[in-house]
This record gives sequence, structure tokens and C-alpha cells, in this order.
Amino acid sequence: MLVGLVASAALALSACGGGATGAKGESNGPGGKAAQGGTLQVLANAAFSHLDPARGFDGGVNNFYRLIYRTLTTQGAAPGAEGTKIVPDLATDTGKPSDGGKTWTFTLKDGLFFETGAPITSADVKWGVSRAWDPELGIGSPYAKQLIEAPATYQGPYKSGELSTIETPDAKTIVFHLKKPFADFGSVVAQNTFTPVPTGQGAGNQLDSKPISSGPYKLAEYKPGASLKLVRNDKWDKKTDDVRTANPDAFQWTFGLDPATIDERMIAGQGTDANAIAGTIQAASVARIQTPQLKQRTMTGINGCTTYLGLNTTKKPLNDVKVRQAINLAVNKQTVRDADGGSALAEIATSIQPPTVAGRVDYDPYPSPDHKGDVDGARKLLTEAGFANGFTMTLDTRAQPKMQAMAVAIQQALEPLKVTVKINTIDTATYYEVIGTTSQQHDAAITGWCPDWPSGATFLPPLFDGRNITPKGNTNLSQLNDASVNAKIDEIAKLTDVQAANAAYGELDKQIMQLAPVVPLLYEKVLMLVGSNIAGAYLHDGFSGGIDLVSVGLKDAGK
Amino acid sequence: MTTTPALLEVEEVGTPAPAGGPPTSGRRILTTVTKDKGAMLCVLFLATVVLMAVAAPLITKVSGWGPYEFDSAAINSDLGGVPHGALGGMSSEHWFGVEPQNGRDLFARIVYGARVSITISLSATLLTGILGVVLGMLAGFYRGWVDQAISRLMDFLMAFPALIFMIAILSSLPAGNRPVLLVVVISAFGWPYLARVIRGQTMTLANREFVEAARASGAKDSQVVFREILPNLRGSIVVMTTLAIPGFIGTEAGLSFLGVGVSPPTASWGQMIASSVSWYSVDPMFFAIPGAFLFLTVLSLTVLGDKIRTTIDQGEAT
Repeated sequence: MLVGLVASAALALSACGGGATGAKGESNGPGGKAAQGGTLQVLANAAFSHLDPARGFDGGVNNFYRLIYRTLTTQGAAPGAEGTKIVPDLATDTGKPSDGGKTWTFTLKDGLFFETGAPITSADVKWGVSRAWDPELGIGSPYAKQLIEAPATYQGPYKSGELSTIETPDAKTIVFHLKKPFADFGSVVAQNTFTPVPTGQGAGNQLDSKPISSGPYKLAEYKPGASLKLVRNDKWDKKTDDVRTANPDAFQWTFGLDPATIDERMIAGQGTDANAIAGTIQAASVARIQTPQLKQRTMTGINGCTTYLGLNTTKKPLNDVKVRQAINLAVNKQTVRDADGGSALAEIATSIQPPTVAGRVDYDPYPSPDHKGDVDGARKLLTEAGFANGFTMTLDTRAQPKMQAMAVAIQQALEPLKVTVKINTIDTATYYEVIGTTSQQHDAAITGWCPDWPSGATFLPPLFDGRNITPKGNTNLSQLNDASVNAKIDEIAKLTDVQAANAAYGELDKQIMQLAPVVPLLYEKVLMLVGSNIAGAYLHDGFSGGIDLVSVGLKDAGK
Repeated sequence: MTTTPALLEVEEVGTPAPAGGPPTSGRRILTTVTKDKGAMLCVLFLATVVLMAVAAPLITKVSGWGPYEFDSAAINSDLGGVPHGALGGMSSEHWFGVEPQNGRDLFARIVYGARVSITISLSATLLTGILGVVLGMLAGFYRGWVDQAISRLMDFLMAFPALIFMIAILSSLPAGNRPVLLVVVISAFGWPYLARVIRGQTMTLANREFVEAARASGAKDSQVVFREILPNLRGSIVVMTTLAIPGFIGTEAGLSFLGVGVSPPTASWGQMIASSVSWYSVDPMFFAIPGAFLFLTVLSLTVLGDKIRTTIDQGEAT
């Protein structure tokens, strides 16, 4: 999943994290038992991209959607690997495959209702999933469209009517017919697009302004860009839901706050800010949270994403693998990490996949002392490639101080090789569009990628499968189209043993890095302060280290 | 901070209208300024800044660090990148300390920032001066439809909220040659103020006896303009351009603060101040030093400009 994530990771709630301080069980830390009741405050900079589950697809909204939407299955609610396990949500189990894994059947639980009081039926789930094919609405999670069989001309339920490849033999059963066998489809139906929508509803912008809730909370008030309030959905039955504890009576989001202001408020923790959570703090605040009192309310962990420098292999001289390898060797990852905020806010990345992806191998394809870059080694490679006098390249960067600082760090590191890096600053709102359009992207771009669930299947193919290159919305930024890599991806997709597949992806990581299409830069960390009255908080590996909203609550609901 | 208030103010407070006597001589201005202690301090500080701007590469060779070199050892990577040591990392190696997170030498960046500020403001002043004087004189001298056209153009440009428009233009254009772009944009919105004043004074002067006399003796239009009218405008031009420079320095700093000025890694005082805002509580020197330089430069220019204006106002008569 693209890094509207990394953008929101620094700002709103997102990012994954294992090994949080304040672990569950401590009654003093933020992980202790939460009380029922109270209003939980959330301070955010970036607003939610979309409230419509077919449209929204980034770490900020994925976590939030669990409060108002339920899907056929969902991730667990616990720190570490327990949290990323797929468990049943609306369905009674994680799906029954048949026909060699090409057909999947799910049975809905009893007692499921929308906030309107109408029962949730399989027809509503089918309606929700079909919306993924609508060209305007289905811009979020791509898996439904990619995996489920559908006529080539199908454009969603509003334009093309019913989708025959999703069957609903009765109100409690739903059957999916896939294009190819897919062993892990039980994980796919945890995606946002598998949220039920009442049949006939949700056209246009309806759900973006007034979501129809199937979860423990419903929308009470929404001022886009300013604030959002959730209150309890009395039609949600706790007995049907093993995942969500839904402690607070209400959630209150405040958007548009300056990141420095959020840090100040969280450090001070006055008034209702004691009931607040926010996102990762800024680099400048790291030195201020070292006191014992503040350390007690600090949570930290890896966010499970990789920040990398994508090298466009279709542009000269980056089409020469030696040049790309030279860049990999020369980049001083310590200075890039410092630009991000130092060791408290990021780990240095060596492999493409982050440590939280199952089967990932910890190795360094282009080692240098202390990760400071090996300029001599790089120079040798460049000379071999015929670029002893260097060359010029354009680096696309977001118009954010942190991203610009990282770009400058890379620029400085390549300077001794006589490589002139021109920094092209692009507005954050249009950045992903520009770098995802093959005709508009330049030589390199700093971006990030997070796994949709912690498997190599959601990491390597979107970024490196040559057949995934599209003229718009392209995720394979390096435009790598290597026959042996493509063949390997197909081979691994056929494996039925998920563990073996993950190990194979770990090896594929090494094979891809030999071609050096990207420079893995950082595995960013989450470092956040929570209010003193927060309990039940832990960092969820599946939401880029964000605090799991369905479990968090207040220590004392009276405050 | 913007150029517009400074120039407007000069106009309202009382532009030195050419009084009865001859224009104040340069020598007189010089002697008055050198006698005044305050003005001399300003001149000294400005001379230092200009020296920094001109001799930047030499100075940084002496100080040992360039403006773009990272010094990762000078910052604490485990604490978010705060500089080691007190006062933002001031030491014998880094005379003004270092920037957090990358450890770039602050002294070198101040020196190169001076270069950016001085270059852009002086270029903008030059361009504004030329445009303002030429178009102002044309409008005031020829009147008629020339005056109408130019005056409407000036009204149109002055009606724009200049700063907002500058931000919009600069953020929508691709990187390109930022300093040139900045000079062009700043001048495009700055010249009408000078032109309006020059136009008014030209109209007054064009009716004076010596101009009539010159015409009667057969002088061509261009000779009248350059030999009779322009010298009498000298005072206004000097004052307005001197007072415009600090305005332009402030505008460049403001645009860089907002992120639409010079692009990284170019050093600019405004951009440094912008980065320093979040570091204020743990590294106040990072804000204090560029802030002080910007403040003192603008102050010196304004005080100096004021002094010159007073001298010119007083005229030759004692």
C-alpha cells in the first residue's frame, strides 16, 4: 500500500509497531486495562482521505475504518504477530476454499445490523465488494478487482448492475469466484472493500460524507478537514464481535493541527489532552521527551514500512545496473536517517522488505562501514560503467521539510562522485500522482511502501513485477521488467504453503536487489506520546504501528 | 515584511518633492551621514554583510566548512539530531554552531545566506528602479493615452494582494532558476509604487519654467527628460530605492520562510528561520542567529535610508 501512509505516518495514526513500551499487563503504562466510557481525543494534522471504504486505502483510514466498518475477516487486536493474524469478523470463519482455491465460500454470523437497524445480508456484502469495480469509487484497495473474476466491461453496480461471479445463494452465504486459485483469500477479505453497504446505496459521494456503519461506532458529526466525532452504534452487538472492545463512548478527531502544536499539547497533557492520542512526534521533540514522566507515556516501535529511493530504470544512465549499484553503495544512510530524526525515529534499511514481513531475510546487499556509504567502491563501479565524470539526475521530492532534508542528504552523498542531483519539489497533494505517471516521473523519487498484510506477496510484486507497470497509478516506480523476476513471482504465487512462499519472497528480495532498482533507505519508527489517562493502547503491526483504535480507551472514564 | 508597505509609507510620509532649490548634492549627503554615529554603525554593519556576500567562498575556506557539507559528528543522532554542546554547538570548529539534524555549519550558511539576500534584493531593486523610473517618467511626461495605459497597468498590479499572488506563482512554477524567478516576481509587483511617485513628480516638473525654457531653445524630448527632469528626481529615486532594499530582503526571507523561495540546499536566512521554528525549545541559537542577522540588516538599511531622506529633505540650504 502506497505511502499516503508514510505521509500520514508522521501525522495521523498509522504505521505498525512491534515491541511497544507500555506493554499489555502493566497497570501503570498506557497498555493497562481500559475503562468503559469517556471520549477519546485524537489530535491529527492530516485529515482522512476518504470515509468511503472503497476509496480509502492508507494507514490513516484503515485503522479508523475498523471503528465504523466490519469486513468478512479482519486482523486481530494484539501487539506483534497476534495482531496481524486474520480472524473472522462478519463471517463465521476465514473462508472455505473449493475448486482448488478458485472458489471461496463465507457464511455470515447471526445478529448483524447496520446503524439503521437493517440486517446485514450477503447481498449487502456483495453490493459493497462490487463497488470496487466502479472507476470513480474503486480507487482504494486493488485486491478485489485483481483477484475476483469479472467481465472485462464491468464497471460496478451503479453502472453495470449485478456481478454474476459473486453469488449469494441465501441471505447468509456469499461465494466468490476468483480468476486464479489464491491460497490466502481469507486475508484478502479483510480489506476495506469487503465492507457491506446497504444494497442500492453508496452512490457518488454519499459514503464520503455519511458512512453507513456496521461497526461499534457511527458518525455523529463531520466537518471535513476540521473535526470528526463518532458515538456508539447501538445496533452493534458485542457478542458477534471478538475483536473490538470498543471502550470509549465517543471518539473526537481534531484535524489540521500543526505538528509542532500537537507535540506541545501532548507533552503538556492539559485538560482533555490527557485523554488524547496523536501520531509520531517530530525530530525536534525527541530531546524533550527524555524525562521519566514523559517516558512513561511514550510508545515506540517499527512502523513496518520501507522508505526507499526508487531509481527509474528507463532513464539514462540509470538503465545501467552498475550505475544503480554505485548509487546504492554511495548513499550515506546515516545522514538520511538523521534527516528523518535519527535513531529514535528510524532504522537503517538494508533489504527491500522490512523486518515485520514474514520470511524476510536480514542481509545487506551493498554494505559500507557503519552504513555511511562506500564512495570509493561506488566510484569504481561508475568508472567501469563509463561515468567517471559523473552525470546529472533529477530527484522528485515532496514539499515537506523532512522529505526535502532526505533529498538533500542523498544529494550530498552523491556529490563526491560528481553526480549532480537536482531536487524537484512537488506539492504533497499531487506527488503520488506525478511519480505514478510513467510519462511524468523523473530519474528518482523518494517514497515508501507498506505491506497490506505482513506478507511478501503484498510487497514485492506490486513494486517489481514488470507486468504491473501502468501508465497511471503505477506502483512499480523503477519500471523494472526483468523476465526472471517476473517468472519467480509467478512461481511463488503458485505455492500453497504460505510459510514456504514467505521464505521464497525473502530470497526474491536478494535476487531483486542484485539488479539494484531501488535504494532501501529506512524502516521508519513510530514514536508517540499518549495522554496520561490513556489505557489499552498498543501499537498494531497491521496499521503501520498506529495505536489500535478498537482496543484503546481511557483509564478513568470520568475525566 | 513586504515591499509594498515600505514604499507606500515613503510616499505618504512625504517624498522629497523637488523644492525651490537645486537637488541635494551627493557630497552633502555623504558628510551628513559620516558625521552621524548611528548611521555610521549601520554603514559598518551593512559593509560587513556585503563583504560576506561578496567574499563568501573565501570566508568559508578560512572557517573550514562549506555551507552544504554535513557534519554528522556534531549532532546527536539518538536524540533527534540536536547539536552537541551548548549554544547550538558553538565551538572552535563551528563558530556559530551547527544546524540540527544535518550538522551543517551555521556560519557558512549565514555567509551564503547573505549572498542570497543581497543579490536578490539588489537585483530586484535595480529592476524595480529601472521599470519604475522609465515607466513613471513616460507616463508623467507624455500624458495622454500613454499615461492612461501605464496608470491602468499600475492600478491593476497594485490591486493584487502581492504576497499571496507571489506565493501562488512561485509554488505553481517548476524549480527552474529560483533566484531569477524571485527577482522577476518581486519586481513585477514592486515597480508600480515607485512609478506612481515618479509619475507625479515628473508631471509637476514638466510644467516648470526651466523645462519650458529648454523646450523653447529647441531641446528634443529625450534631452528634456534626461537633462532637465531626471536630475531633479534624483533625490526621490535614491530615497525610495534605499528604503525598498530592506523591504525586498524581507520579502525574499518571507517567501523562503514559506517554502517558495530559494530551493534547498541553497542557504537563505528566511529558510533557516523557518526550519528553526520547531527547534526553538531545544536549540534557540538556530533561530537567534539568522533572525538577528535579518533584523539588523533590515534595521540598518531602514535607518540609513531614513537618514538620507532627511538630508535630502533639508536641501542645500543650512
